[in-house]
Amino acid sequence: MFRHTPLRYAVLAILAIAALMQAFTAGYFGLEILIEILILCLLVLALDLVAGFGGMVSLCHGALMGVGAYAFVALNVLADLDPWLAALGAVAITAAAAWIIGAICARSHGIYFIMATLAFGQMAYSYVFESPLFGGDDGMGGIDRFDLSAIGLDLNDSRSFALFCLAVLAAAYLFATAILRSGLGRSLAGVMHNEKRMKALGLNTWRIKADVFGLSGIIAGVAGVLAAQHIMFISPGLMNWTVSGEALVVVILGGLGTLVGPLVGAAAFVVMKHELGEVTTYWHLVVGVILIAVVMSRANGIFGWVEARWGDRIERRLTDATRSPAQKEVSTDA
Amino acid sequence: MLETRSLTKSFGAVHVTRSVSLKLERGERRVILGPNGAGKTTLFNLLVGELTPDGGSVHLAGEDVTALSVPRRARRGLSRSYQKNTLFDGLTVEENLALAAAVPTGHATRLWSDSLRQPEIRDTVAEVAEQVNLMPHLHAKVSEISYGVRRQLEVGVALATRPLVLLMDEPTSGVGPEMSKGFHDLLNNLPRDLTLLIIEHDMDLAFAVADTITVLNYGEVVFDGLPEEARGSKLLKDIYLGSWEDA
Repeated sequence: MFRHTPLRYAVLAILAIAALMQAFTAGYFGLEILIEILILCLLVLALDLVAGFGGMVSLCHGALMGVGAYAFVALNVLADLDPWLAALGAVAITAAAAWIIGAICARSHGIYFIMATLAFGQMAYSYVFESPLFGGDDGMGGIDRFDLSAIGLDLNDSRSFALFCLAVLAAAYLFATAILRSGLGRSLAGVMHNEKRMKALGLNTWRIKADVFGLSGIIAGVAGVLAAQHIMFISPGLMNWTVSGEALVVVILGGLGTLVGPLVGAAAFVVMKHELGEVTTYWHLVVGVILIAVVMSRANGIFGWVEARWGDRIERRLTDATRSPAQKEVSTDA
Repeated sequence: MLETRSLTKSFGAVHVTRSVSLKLERGERRVILGPNGAGKTTLFNLLVGELTPDGGSVHLAGEDVTALSVPRRARRGLSRSYQKNTLFDGLTVEENLALAAAVPTGHATRLWSDSLRQPEIRDTVAEVAEQVNLMPHLHAKVSEISYGVRRQLEVGVALATRPLVLLMDEPTSGVGPEMSKGFHDLLNNLPRDLTLLIIEHDMDLAFAVADTITVLNYGEVVFDGLPEEARGSKLLKDIYLGSWEDA
């Protein structure tokens, strides 16, 4: 079951400080990279919730993010709704779509689950690709960003938008941890460890999976809304299975089932993409080699490796530091 | 409390359950005996719904539950433990018990409350841990406890759902004589109104805890009666007890 360790808090603090420093000091391109990382963080957070804690390896989360983006544009641009209302509607639509996909796919396992989610994702991709309503393969533009002028923020400014995305990511992280610490989240852990026994205890396991898939859809929907606002343009490419595949790579690279790891993975992946991309167009090869090394090392991603190496030691030191001198004496005597 | 009427199951040409009719009263403790392959575990699988019978019916507290799924039967009060440990290995003993205890209270599906922190769940966990002697191991992970303690937890998880009927598939499977003795006390400490149906190969334990004994052979009920009658039954000695009596 999910729990925060001192190491996880420390890594979260380091990530938050790094993001804030980048937000306040970077130029335009640095800010764009930061926003890209933050939106990817939202997507991988949503994916880790189902894949890392429920064993549901989804290849449709990119498409769910796309559903959020397209629904937002449909409500904002086509129906001319206020961006806030459009965002609310888009997130609700994505959550509903995710719940339905989850409810259907939850009855399958392993490779069949992956293939079923892939099929759903590609159906969504094919639909928007062909649909004249959504601009087909040309995509759509004319998207408004949220109006936060009431609190003195102009989201058309990259710095403000990056800070806004960071705040949204923090809220999404808290939401994800609240899910995992709830009765529903604990049952999800039970289903992942032993679905047969959870059924024997009286639980409708498909419902648990579908509910968490739907909740994960909320985060993916938020990522979609922010992605649409970031580029102010959407196209079917947002829903392509490669987006889901990339998100899965990031989750595995960072550390499946840790929540913190995928955030580390997202930062590492985007930075590698841009830094290596400047040196070579074959940057994917380098990422591939790193991914193979991570998988072959049997560590649970970058964060999992760090946790396995230093997690216990840090926790022990912190426990020692917080114990009173009298307690330490007793322990030394023993 | 639990009744089967002419329950039948075949796998191809092999008849594993042949018209089995049983009737357990509330609070009854019945032990099912039978050689390997007699169809004991298949009978359990039919009772909880993990297998669908070819014929006959299962009734729980007067209700026909034959068509109900495994979770629905469990929610109506039918719980089981398995012959092979079927636990949540990455979790602690406390979390294992809490997962089970959260199901009947509805906390297992709630988003707005942490089931582990609910007083009613904590009370159930403490009570069950006491009943199955797990108090010293509450915070240990399943991977850190001995095999014998895992067997206790296997029963504890089934008990934590507050069942009306508890089916125990060889609770002492793989444990030594000392631990087996501990299970005797454990079973005797369970609430008297809980109906127990136990598959057990340890004859001393079986005769010590059973109110009634049913013997299965080739999927068929060949004996149904009191433990003292079972001890004197020649048929029983022939098919199962000979080696035990001789020893």
